[in-house]
Amino acid sequence: MNDAAPAIFVALEASAAGAAIRQSTWIYMAANVGHIVSLVVFAGAVAVMDIRMTGALAATSPGHVLKMARRFAVAAFFGLTITGATLFAAEASHVIMNPIFQLKLALIGLALLNITWFEYFTAPQVRALPPLTPLPVAARRAGFISIGLWIAVAAAGRTIAYL
Amino acid sequence: MRHPVIALSVLALLSGTAAAHHGWGSYDASKPVTVTGPILTSKYENPHATITVRGSDKVWTVTLAPTFRMTNRGALAEMIAVGKTISAYGYPSTVEKDEMRAERITVGGKTIEMR
Repeated sequence: MNDAAPAIFVALEASAAGAAIRQSTWIYMAANVGHIVSLVVFAGAVAVMDIRMTGALAATSPGHVLKMARRFAVAAFFGLTITGATLFAAEASHVIMNPIFQLKLALIGLALLNITWFEYFTAPQVRALPPLTPLPVAARRAGFISIGLWIAVAAAGRTIAYL
Repeated sequence: MRHPVIALSVLALLSGTAAAHHGWGSYDASKPVTVTGPILTSKYENPHATITVRGSDKVWTVTLAPTFRMTNRGALAEMIAVGKTISAYGYPSTVEKDEMRAERITVGGKTIEMR
């Protein structure tokens, strides 16, 4: 227990749920495996959307690619959140004080802002465009920002254990 | 122009996964220690089981393995309970004072690898 952490995270780690995750033979391991599996699906779906927006796969309908890949991305993000929260609860007071974890949260926040901006302002312009049509600069920019930020999130996530 | 970026990105992701074996970096493998003595406290918990042991020189905090691995390899909770005698071979932490990570432990006549 890290008493320097804000009380809510100390309480979360000390909670019955936190203890159950630590003491169960399989919950922590299942959450760890589930987090990586969700990450793989998420990264794949996001990469498909991002490379389409940056100009690859130009012979496809951008609206259709976004629609199909988004389903996987949303489902996988849900999986990442559930498994991530499970892993976090077990060691909340320590992890919240880890600078790399804080960086990871900030990067996730930026990536979600990028998605929100894209979905509200850019996707509506892109959705109906036919194949082999140059996409707006905003779409290309969103694609590059997205893939860069999510890779940074993954790298930060892996680095938490070392710092 | 775009393709090297994508290729590099994929490479970055793959290398991150390949290096997904953590926790030994902050222990000094050039100064192995063997701590032998009674177990004072025992937490059979994830992500790693942790015990404190009264060694000949001081009380050590000994970091063991994830509990699923411990159970799988026969290092059961009752074998590393408070009061049992343990011998742990491992490496001292370069970060935490009086903490070491066990490479292997010997309890109840059985030697069990932790890595």
